Amino acid sequence: MNLRANRTWKEYMSKKLIPPGLTYLANNIALSDNIIGAAKKEGAKWAKDLKFSSNNETIFFAGCGYQYSSELETLMSLIRSIDKSPINMEMTMNLAIFQRKLGLDLGGVYRKVMTRGGEADAQPLVSAVKVLNKIGIDLGYLGEEEPCCGGLLYYIGMHKEFNSHAKDVHNRLKAKGVREIISLVPSCTFTLKSLVPKGAGSDDITVRHFCEVVDENLYSLKLRLPERVKVTYHDPCQLSRSLGLIDEPRRILSAIENVELVEPAWTKGKFSTCCGGGGGFEAVFPELSQTLAVNRARELTETGPDIIVTQCPGCIMQIEGGLKELGIKNVPVLDLAQVVGMALEV
Amino acid sequence: MSAAHNDRIRLALSRGIASYRSNVNTALEKFPHSIQLAEEVRQIKAQSIIDMEKLAQQACEVIESNKGKAYIAKTAEDALELIGKLTGTGKLIVKGKSMTSEEIHVREYLEEKGNEVYETDLGEFIIQKLNSSPMHILSPAIHVPKEDVAELFSKITGEKLPPDDIGKMVETARKLLREKYFQADIGMSGANVVSADTGTLFLIENEGNINLATGAPPVHIALVGMEKLVPTLSDAFKVAEVTWRYANYTIPSYVSLISGPSKTGDIEKVITYGAHGPKEFHVIFLDDGRTKLAKNPVLRQALYCLRCGGCLYECPVFAVTAGKFGDKYFTGVGAVWAAIISESIEKAASIAYSCLMCGRCKERCPMEIDVPSMMIELKKYLVEGEGDTAAE
Repeated sequence: MNLRANRTWKEYMSKKLIPPGLTYLANNIALSDNIIGAAKKEGAKWAKDLKFSSNNETIFFAGCGYQYSSELETLMSLIRSIDKSPINMEMTMNLAIFQRKLGLDLGGVYRKVMTRGGEADAQPLVSAVKVLNKIGIDLGYLGEEEPCCGGLLYYIGMHKEFNSHAKDVHNRLKAKGVREIISLVPSCTFTLKSLVPKGAGSDDITVRHFCEVVDENLYSLKLRLPERVKVTYHDPCQLSRSLGLIDEPRRILSAIENVELVEPAWTKGKFSTCCGGGGGFEAVFPELSQTLAVNRARELTETGPDIIVTQCPGCIMQIEGGLKELGIKNVPVLDLAQVVGMALEV
Repeated sequence: MSAAHNDRIRLALSRGIASYRSNVNTALEKFPHSIQLAEEVRQIKAQSIIDMEKLAQQACEVIESNKGKAYIAKTAEDALELIGKLTGTGKLIVKGKSMTSEEIHVREYLEEKGNEVYETDLGEFIIQKLNSSPMHILSPAIHVPKEDVAELFSKITGEKLPPDDIGKMVETARKLLREKYFQADIGMSGANVVSADTGTLFLIENEGNINLATGAPPVHIALVGMEKLVPTLSDAFKVAEVTWRYANYTIPSYVSLISGPSKTGDIEKVITYGAHGPKEFHVIFLDDGRTKLAKNPVLRQALYCLRCGGCLYECPVFAVTAGKFGDKYFTGVGAVWAAIISESIEKAASIAYSCLMCGRCKERCPMEIDVPSMMIELKKYLVEGEGDTAAE
């Protein structure tokens, strides 16, 4: 990396135009090659009991979201508890609010985060790999050497940094002999598929999302859940509106015996409501982000589901938070990979 | 303000959102050609924005030949100065709702100059009387629950209004404003779209206040953003229909087409101006950064906006913050406006970094304005400076 991380962070902070929560995450990419700033070996822990191909021609891309999701969740709940600045109708959303967050002890938050965390939240990754194995894909995984896609840099406007990061990502993948990526996190998938090729000036790596691969192989899979469940599906914005993967997850869910798909009348597919975590919003306005999460959780639970299925670690975190606020305890939020894993008994 | 107050505002908004969705679906089902028409309008707008300066010149010449007066104001200050000259002081002025006029604070300017100004759109009237600012481009008082309106009108009239009788509230506003139209020295309006070949202003409305405000007083002054210009009358009809359809109307009650001052030739064919309508017709085309914005290939999409307001109903952030998520205009288009038109970089940053970039607005937008792409471009502009974002 040609980024002098600390200096970059301070530079952008001094401009005071980018919210500190986002520059902090951007700095983590530069410093630790993941958005949460964790040690790389922490991220790769989930895979320790799984077998991967030594051939990296097709790799599974785990992404930051699930690999570090327990850390991320702890970080967010700490940010929420520290930052009590109320956001309401009467307070114009303005830079003063961003700047108040400069007082946040991010270093302290970070240290607390690192003493907690676990591997339970990486379950979707384990399920996805097992499902892909069952389909018969010879799957590699880069583990600690998996690069961060760097999408956040692009989304917050640091395009020069993103472009140099993208070249680095592309070179590292090529050096490992990667020709195809199967990815699970929507934003990483979109970044690897559309943004990295532009930044790196090369599009010689195929990128597919997990649900595309499962959908293509549906005919060969016998999917069944042991008992009848009502499932509602939440479209992650990046998956439905950016990648156009709207029918695929619904075809997969409908193919599972004992699944009854129930959906909101209007807020689904391309009109699905954002969970409130989009664009790094949860790191800028955690309180307001929680209100949006509650709104979305309400829309979803009004369909009367036994479980809520989605495909994004950010959405899961947000919707779970929303359900908690609503006092709804018996509706789990799962990644589609977990449901397919259960239905295949892998 | 209390949490309970916020809850009521959110309730008012959620009522508005539900009714918008159901109405717009009905409107699109009844007139399914709207979707195809929107595609055509997108092309018309894209070309018109590129040709904006030429169209403004043409429209000015045509309006002058229609015996109106037309001007191009380079800046907001120029426009205000011009309006000030045309109105003078001590006048009674009735206004139709106009976002362009909100943009440069025409009402405040005229009041400072010692004029008495009435907003005649019901929503704007409520906002004016509440001393608040509009929270939606079409329904400026969308965040004000009926109970608050009843309280406000009770205070103005000194007569207790029941909190749930909306009919009575509307009737009160009608009574309060009725005579003002006929006493007014000047009527002011904006325009939804203007055809350059005939110099025709299209004004879409349901209340009838614009009809009265532009028809009854002896002088009509219109302030129009240059982005509202399209080449022909038939283009303008298309833009107008798409605008009201996506603003959730099958058909609005009124569309006024105004191309010049009122005239008659009924006595010996001698054309005489100021028959029943205004004798003077002034149109001010406002640039104020629009031609600069038109040069950015990504951000110029903000100028395609028809102000139908559909996106606002789809924005999850808007649903809980309303007009606080914006500046002169709201949400994504508002961020671009703040950066390029108002040159308020800090305001632009705060809106841009508050956008979820979820993209649902784009799905609704008849112009398919790509707000997430605009926000990314804008953030790049904020981080890296103007250099990299300059014209093609």
